[in-house]
Amino acid sequence: MLERIKAALAAQNIPTYLIRQSDVHTAELFFIKKQLDMRRGKDITTFEVTVYHDTEQDGTRGRGASTVHLSPSATAEEIGEALRDAWFAAGLAVNPYYELADKVTADPVIPDTALSALSASAAADVMAGALFAADTQTDAFINSAEVFVTRTRCRIVGSQGTDVTYETCRTEGEFVVQCTDGADVEIFNEFSYDDLTPDALTAKVTEALATVRARAKAQPVLPGGEYDVLLSGEELAEFLTYYRDRANASSVYAHYSNYAVGDAVQGDAVQGELLDLTLCASEPYSHDGIPMVDRPLIRDGRLEMLHGATRFCRYLGLEPVGNYRKMRLKAGTVPLAEMQKKPHLQVVSFSDFQMDALSGHFGGEIRLAYWFDGETARVVTGGSINGLLTQVQGELVFSTEQYADSRYEGPLAVKLPRVAVAGI
Amino acid sequence: MKLNDSRYLLDIRPVAKSLVDTLCARYAYASLLAVDSCGKRYRIARSGVSAGQDELYTSRGFVVRVFDAGHYAEYSFNALSEADIPAILAGIETALQEGTAFPDNRYEAPADEPLTFSASTEYEVDPEALGDEAILALLRRVREKGLAVDERLLDCGVMAEYQKYSKLFLSRNRDMMQNVMWTSGAVFLLAARGEEIKEYFEGYSGLGGTEALDRMENEVTNVAAKALELLDSEPIKPGEYTCICAPDVTGMIVHEAFGHGVEMDMFVKKRALAEEYVGKQVASPLVTMHDGAAGMGQTATFFFDDEGTLAQDTVVIENGILKSGICDAHSALARHFAPTGNGRRESYERKAYTRMTNTYFTGGTDTLEDMLRSVDYGFLLEDASSGMEDPKNWGIQCMVNVAREIRDGKLTGRIFSPVVLTGYVPDLLCSISMMSETPILSGTGFCGKGHKEWVKVSDGGPYIKATIRLG
Repeated sequence: MLERIKAALAAQNIPTYLIRQSDVHTAELFFIKKQLDMRRGKDITTFEVTVYHDTEQDGTRGRGASTVHLSPSATAEEIGEALRDAWFAAGLAVNPYYELADKVTADPVIPDTALSALSASAAADVMAGALFAADTQTDAFINSAEVFVTRTRCRIVGSQGTDVTYETCRTEGEFVVQCTDGADVEIFNEFSYDDLTPDALTAKVTEALATVRARAKAQPVLPGGEYDVLLSGEELAEFLTYYRDRANASSVYAHYSNYAVGDAVQGDAVQGELLDLTLCASEPYSHDGIPMVDRPLIRDGRLEMLHGATRFCRYLGLEPVGNYRKMRLKAGTVPLAEMQKKPHLQVVSFSDFQMDALSGHFGGEIRLAYWFDGETARVVTGGSINGLLTQVQGELVFSTEQYADSRYEGPLAVKLPRVAVAGI
Repeated sequence: MKLNDSRYLLDIRPVAKSLVDTLCARYAYASLLAVDSCGKRYRIARSGVSAGQDELYTSRGFVVRVFDAGHYAEYSFNALSEADIPAILAGIETALQEGTAFPDNRYEAPADEPLTFSASTEYEVDPEALGDEAILALLRRVREKGLAVDERLLDCGVMAEYQKYSKLFLSRNRDMMQNVMWTSGAVFLLAARGEEIKEYFEGYSGLGGTEALDRMENEVTNVAAKALELLDSEPIKPGEYTCICAPDVTGMIVHEAFGHGVEMDMFVKKRALAEEYVGKQVASPLVTMHDGAAGMGQTATFFFDDEGTLAQDTVVIENGILKSGICDAHSALARHFAPTGNGRRESYERKAYTRMTNTYFTGGTDTLEDMLRSVDYGFLLEDASSGMEDPKNWGIQCMVNVAREIRDGKLTGRIFSPVVLTGYVPDLLCSISMMSETPILSGTGFCGKGHKEWVKVSDGGPYIKATIRLG
């Protein structure tokens, strides 16, 4: 199929292109309580073809791009028609000219992990077993779960000579824990690992079960006001996406972000901890074929670089480095137990915590929180937080305890000062 | 005009039938869903212009479901010819052998009532016939008009997209084909206040072609003015207020706060409080709620779902009483319910779940003017931005971009942003005391199940007056 596409591109006189072939195999298990309710698998091959159309008007060069998605069943006539349409669309969607990513050729990158050594079905069995290993009590249990193991082989071929291949193997899924001792409540959880990590999954379930037990005892008694809020784990990771997204070259180019290399991103009067944030490569190559490596994003609170797709990096005169998803933050300085000695609201479960990188607003509805007013500790539910990052980023305090998942590694918790909370 | 059948699906149908016949000889039940879809997205913003196929909207492939010895398995693939059938059969057998270490739920085979069916939606202006050039020209005009409103506007982003899809469902007794097209567009105006960027969004959508975009050009000036108003917005003082919700906010409450709770796969898992309230009052007697792909014509309209069940128009709440949930075929088997045509997949590659379609409150008898006059102090909520379901505990989390202050029956001009709606769903629904006459639906967005499985939905309703906790 790849050769058919290349032949069709040549026949259409389309000189500049990028083809991304993905072969995906999965094993998928769906549980209701401990009963397997549905099993699924898939074997899919797809081809994403981006064609580039160069123009020149009044001495100004332009480059348009348009993408089509082809299945292996596409006939020669369909491939030709799709590429013709894409070429025409690219000629209308013209942006200032930019050079594509530099040519890259390399040997295939194949993961050497315990996960990749197993068949998808066998790995799914291991992870499902780990999921239910901690589910041993009747008061709190796994209500339902989904376990996926996905093996992907990706090949990127570009007209500039790029030809790279890599494989990934990932296990991910979700589970809902329920507690019926007290109020009948549940909490939704997700997991994602690049290796076979049954112990980590079992530990995550154990923690989730403890959390849902606490939610069953929680009372809707939180009064509104301003609180020092502790965020942890996935919510801390989401909080930090503000810096990653603001440092994206596309945001800077469009003036949605005013970040520039060297900026003190937390302001000039930082009383809390200075950020030390690293972008982590979670795949060997970016979507447009750029080799990805770990890169320092922020050091001592100052922006070290911008990241992003080739077009926007070229416009800003930067080396194209690709879009990054995963981040790593330097360890914090204060043990969580120390943070918890002062009045605070530690929110451990939101319905859906969100960070808006445009406005800097963050917040969500509180499903479970531990509230300490300086004298009494209470387990509470209900209400919501509504904060503005630019008002708290100068006083961030991070924990010494660590946390890791597929998109974040770093301190387990952060303390945010004086955040507005709508109570009950 | 009506959409045509997919040439590919017509051509592949004999091979697909051959595969289904082979599967039916091996298993007590087998079905196949074939999908051939294509969608394009056009976007112009300060970052540039783009036009091309969208991955979520463009696919061609198959999923088979088989029933064997009391349990189900599915296998998705996208290469089908007579020569491919042995590999497909092997893939199905591999799927059936997954998870054999775990005890499994046992089901009966579905009824598979005989049905032959074919239908297509209609359109006025075919986006493919209109062409990329004309669509991009429309977006450029809208953008330029929006940016011309005020130099404080940072950007006027414009977007249009459409999807044409054809689906073929085959089983021993069923042969069904449908062809559907929807189109949507959006305008998003950005204005900067220091490092903070304020955004106002307006969506346009409809079943059919680019006629759904007709209002964009006329309305962009008004959308720009609303974005500029946000520059003077204030943080709201948390508390419980009398609120009037614009139709898009009503839609978010309908969909996120209540709709997810009546998805009956949640009943099967004992994850939905609504199951205990069927036949009971859950909302004000003013409230009647529908969900259905056969109801209002919008972006989630279709003729049969992804499990071969004909679309319906389900009355979920009638005069405040919870009448029925919505259900996919697999969950229906577990609880001996009748499926309601709500089994939907993100794509042929994904599992079907119970999903909403076009979900809305019907209209009432009040006017917006009367509703505003009735408020001593409160807020008019508009520009819904996001929400999250909590079917187990009926907690509300909805984000709204704009709260306009109402004092003594009049808008004061003060604006608060952003605003989080919280509280307990039945408290909010039972507090509804006025509803305007005409429901308005919007289908620019997608709905996830948890944090994935994105499907096109529409939701809406009339203006409603209710008591809501804001933060």
